[in-house]
Amino acid sequence: MNAIQDLLTLMFFPGGLFVLALGMSYEWIDRKLMARVQNRVGPRWFQPYADIAKLLVKEEVIPADSNRLLFIALPILALAGALTAALYVPLAGFDPLYSFKGDLIVTLYLLSLLTVCTGLAGANTTDRFSLVGATRTLTQLFSYEAPFLLAMLGPAVAARSWQINEIIADADGQWLLIVQPVGFVVALIGLLGKLEIAPFNAPEAETEIVAGALTEYSGRGLALFRLGRHVELVVGLTMVAAFYMGGVNGLPLFILKTLLLLLILVGIQSLVARLRIDQTVGLWWRWGVLLVLAQWLALVIWEGVQA
Amino acid sequence: MDTTVPQRFVVPIGPQHPALKEPGHFEFTVDGEQVTGASVRLGYAHRGIEKATEGRNWVQNLYLLERICGICSHVHATAYCLGVEKLAGVTAPPRAQAIRLLVAELERIHSHLLWLGVAAHEAGFDTLFMYSWRDRETVMDILEALTGNRVNYSANLLGGVKFDLTPELTDQIYAGLELLEERTHQYVDVVTSDATLLQRTRGVGVTTREQAEELGLVGPTARASGVERDIRAEAPYAAYSDFPVKVVTATAGDLEARFVVRLQELFEAYRLIRAVLEKLPPGDLQARMPRKIKPAETISRVEAPRGELFYFIKSNGTDQPERIKVRTPTLCNLASVCVLAIGSQLADVPMILAGVDPCFSCNDRMVTVYSGDTDHTQWTWKQLRQYGIDYYRR
Amino acid sequence: MKRHTLLQYAIRSLFRRTATQRYPAERTPTPERLRGTLHWNPDGCTGCCLCSKECPANAIEIITIDKAAKQFVARYHADRCIYCGQCVINCRFGCLTMSSEEWENAALQKQAFTVYYGDVPNVERVLEGFVTQDSASNSPA
Repeated sequence: MNAIQDLLTLMFFPGGLFVLALGMSYEWIDRKLMARVQNRVGPRWFQPYADIAKLLVKEEVIPADSNRLLFIALPILALAGALTAALYVPLAGFDPLYSFKGDLIVTLYLLSLLTVCTGLAGANTTDRFSLVGATRTLTQLFSYEAPFLLAMLGPAVAARSWQINEIIADADGQWLLIVQPVGFVVALIGLLGKLEIAPFNAPEAETEIVAGALTEYSGRGLALFRLGRHVELVVGLTMVAAFYMGGVNGLPLFILKTLLLLLILVGIQSLVARLRIDQTVGLWWRWGVLLVLAQWLALVIWEGVQA
Repeated sequence: MDTTVPQRFVVPIGPQHPALKEPGHFEFTVDGEQVTGASVRLGYAHRGIEKATEGRNWVQNLYLLERICGICSHVHATAYCLGVEKLAGVTAPPRAQAIRLLVAELERIHSHLLWLGVAAHEAGFDTLFMYSWRDRETVMDILEALTGNRVNYSANLLGGVKFDLTPELTDQIYAGLELLEERTHQYVDVVTSDATLLQRTRGVGVTTREQAEELGLVGPTARASGVERDIRAEAPYAAYSDFPVKVVTATAGDLEARFVVRLQELFEAYRLIRAVLEKLPPGDLQARMPRKIKPAETISRVEAPRGELFYFIKSNGTDQPERIKVRTPTLCNLASVCVLAIGSQLADVPMILAGVDPCFSCNDRMVTVYSGDTDHTQWTWKQLRQYGIDYYRR
Repeated sequence: MKRHTLLQYAIRSLFRRTATQRYPAERTPTPERLRGTLHWNPDGCTGCCLCSKECPANAIEIITIDKAAKQFVARYHADRCIYCGQCVINCRFGCLTMSSEEWENAALQKQAFTVYYGDVPNVERVLEGFVTQDSASNSPA
């Protein structure tokens, strides 16, 4: 009996299909808002579903000079990583499905899996655009990952725990973004970098390198990568909302807070030009890391003094 | 680890590439993100228009030449009309000349707004792209209401123009200009103050004045480097002698300067259009043109939105031209891309390319290079076929 | 003149009417001068063929039924036409007009692009093949 229930939670609600549907809906909201800011009509509500459905039925072309196994396995791995990460965060306001000591670190690394897989997928082909894209993806990974991790550790230090549900319980009702503004900003902007959206979309800058690392992907593989991206958007928004905006108890609060964050993301995304990859790295290591480190140190000292 | 000779890593841009809306092929050799070599191959959009003009009469050629470029169709027709009128010894009436100027400046507005959008898109600034193209619709609607078409306006006739202004159209143009002027102020603000855009434009693709002179740049690209070169001011044609143009220049020579020069030219265009509307000379729209033109040859130069457009026209006494040669501004400017790209970041290359506002379909024309002592101007069918077979066997 | 920063403008844009529209459902009226499908009115035509001689695309053919009685049929190739309007300028008798309403000219069959104008009996005679005047005599090239 228990096994069936577990399976249902994993496959349908609130894991699995529910996360996918949520991810695609958020993608639609993102695109629609973007369109409205740009004075366009924008897509209808089913457009992301239609896109994915179309990609799934289309032929997948596997380049002759790439490793076939890797080419097929990487998108699956990427989506699996994102979906697994979704199990450890309070999706839709429910308690995390699974929880153990140190799951914060595991979740953060699972989220990076998508980026690593994208980079590897690019490096797996001999296409020039893919190779340049892969280099840029991985360079960007190294630039935002450390600050993003530190930003996520801020609330953990405050809660003196590495377990997501304990951190949330501790942060419940307190808007940590007031006491840790730097962490909040870095986490939010880190999310932009993680999802490769403007201004950090140099790895897939279409006017330079077509589609970056995923240039050679078509059909199913591309659909899976995109689904992974959608899921990661939801997971990332949930984590930032839960950590910094006083928790996400219940569905209405979850939707309200994540949509507010999404609106900010759309705002940033629509009002900036793309940064060059060297400018991205410079921005993160010159400002992001130093600021978040300073705040982190202050936090640790403060906790030490209190203890 | 790898101590062997570093392999050349070539990034091809084109003939099909999202950065280029028209076919052209660029090969950039890169070392990491640094560009170390550049080459260009053109000719994908060669259509044989110059040869085709020789089998059509003077009137038919007007419409053929108008279709050389989809963005600056009016200037091509104007250059041709002015040249043919000069050959036939006909002068278009003043009202027609003023309307030619009016349409040319409206076209310049539409071309520069289009360029602003394309350049913003290359920089990844899609909101600016969408806004500028939305506002471009205003001027497109004006052109459509004035001439009846959005792309190939066909406003010109040999010896005059087809369309007259009505009071309603004048009101529509005034209203459109007011809106566009307000929006252009915002664009100037954005391109000179937006931090992320400035990171991509300030100090990127710097062309010094000397380089601009040496490479023979024309149009706004040259004016952004401080070269005061504008046919409208140097050799006024149509009604430009009655409505003088103030040449807009900048000294920086980088991409930001090119943005600013083009946007400032928009203000100049608004001013010119208002001046023309206020002091539109009365009179006829068309002078009579002879069907046949006595043997002679002439050149005709006009300032297209991208720079100097040059026509050579030769008549032979029939109703068809003997030879027409066109030189479009893109060809003059394209060489600078290969020079500027070397040493810059790969990410900046599309920006540098867009910075000259290339128009490949305008540009692609037959060029004969003489080498050795064999006559390459004439090929037999057999030779041509053999050349094709050899070319594709490689 | 009010000036806004891009952020203010973007926020205002959120609540503005969109610039794009769902085309077949919504449509803007076309301007009066729009150059659409060409129409030929047989009344007044003298068969001078100035329209077809200077047509850059050889889209018009004037077929003579009876020169003395001024009976002509115009065969108009909408697929060749480049909508330049030169023929309308050339016609001294005002027989040619361009519609500002008919501009969505896509069709599935190529036949739809060959349009005959003229008096019904004359057009029928042409369609039945009784008049076999070669169109090349009318158009240059």
